[in-house]
Amino acid sequence: MPNNVIDQSKDITILEVLDRVLNKGVILTGDIVISVADIDLVYLGVKLMLSSVETMEKLKSGQSLTENYPNN
Amino acid sequence: MEKSLIYVYCILESPAKSSKTIEFNGLNSMMIDDFQVVFKSVCLNEFSEENFKRNLSDLLWIETNAREHVEVIKWLMEENSVIPFKFGTIYYSENTLRKFIEDYSDSLKENFSEISGKEEWAVKIYCDRKSLSEQIDELSEEAAELEKQIMASSPGRGFLLKRKKNEFVETEMTRICNKFGQEYYDEFRKLSTAKYLNNLLPKDYTGREDSMILNASFLVNKNMVNDFMNKGDILMKRDSNSGFSIEINGPWPAFSFISIKENSNAE
Repeated sequence: MPNNVIDQSKDITILEVLDRVLNKGVILTGDIVISVADIDLVYLGVKLMLSSVETMEKLKSGQSLTENYPNN
Repeated sequence: MEKSLIYVYCILESPAKSSKTIEFNGLNSMMIDDFQVVFKSVCLNEFSEENFKRNLSDLLWIETNAREHVEVIKWLMEENSVIPFKFGTIYYSENTLRKFIEDYSDSLKENFSEISGKEEWAVKIYCDRKSLSEQIDELSEEAAELEKQIMASSPGRGFLLKRKKNEFVETEMTRICNKFGQEYYDEFRKLSTAKYLNNLLPKDYTGREDSMILNASFLVNKNMVNDFMNKGDILMKRDSNSGFSIEINGPWPAFSFISIKENSNAE
């Protein structure tokens, strides 16, 4: 299997994950569920985080944002 | 005992084929109607409406929990058909969860028949316009013709033609990107049973120098996954010199292909 094209689900960026779990799947059915406005806020947070060079470097290398986070 | 909430990951088609023991690490399952619902009990401290919304402003909390949400579902889909729930779908009680499952059972069954034996794969196509511009004479007859005229012209006229060509190349590259994007989309669509177009992500989000020209998800029969991958490889070999690159990742639970409709006889 060609490794250059295929990413076999490791090193998936948080954006890729959020893109699916926040907007898709079985939605609007729980007693509590994230609203569209909440999702916008999450993405705003992501955008702020991405403005950091260090975060961008992590995303490029496929690392989790939480890895080596100083407060963890 | 502290009151807890029910956080739902997904529903498995019953009878579950899984040899896995679901009940560990806080995970649990219950049969409702014809479905096996996989959930965990979560505490109000973290997941009450107010606390949950507060946690949503903590990106590290979201990442940890969103990744866990996906990992649990991926683990279960290794052996089962799975309908994934959106991250953070929470029920106050078993009764409200039961009511949901019963109200939507027909739709859930329809969804299972759509996604059974299939996986979601994400395809992103990027184009590096600089590389593309270097190959433009190979890909565009008009650009090649302009280049020929430039070569045959006096320096003065050549200068003007060059400027004309530069303007033309910008428009032409957009046209070529659209053409290639459409072709990739059509090729992968032929090897899938359903498709979903996502928004293109700007460079701020991708952290890449090249531009995203296609962001799509495809529902692929498990026995077609190799063909799907090979198609990506073939297209990459053909087009990488022109500045195109492909990113395929998966398998994902069929997040993009779930559509739930209330039963017509539900109250």
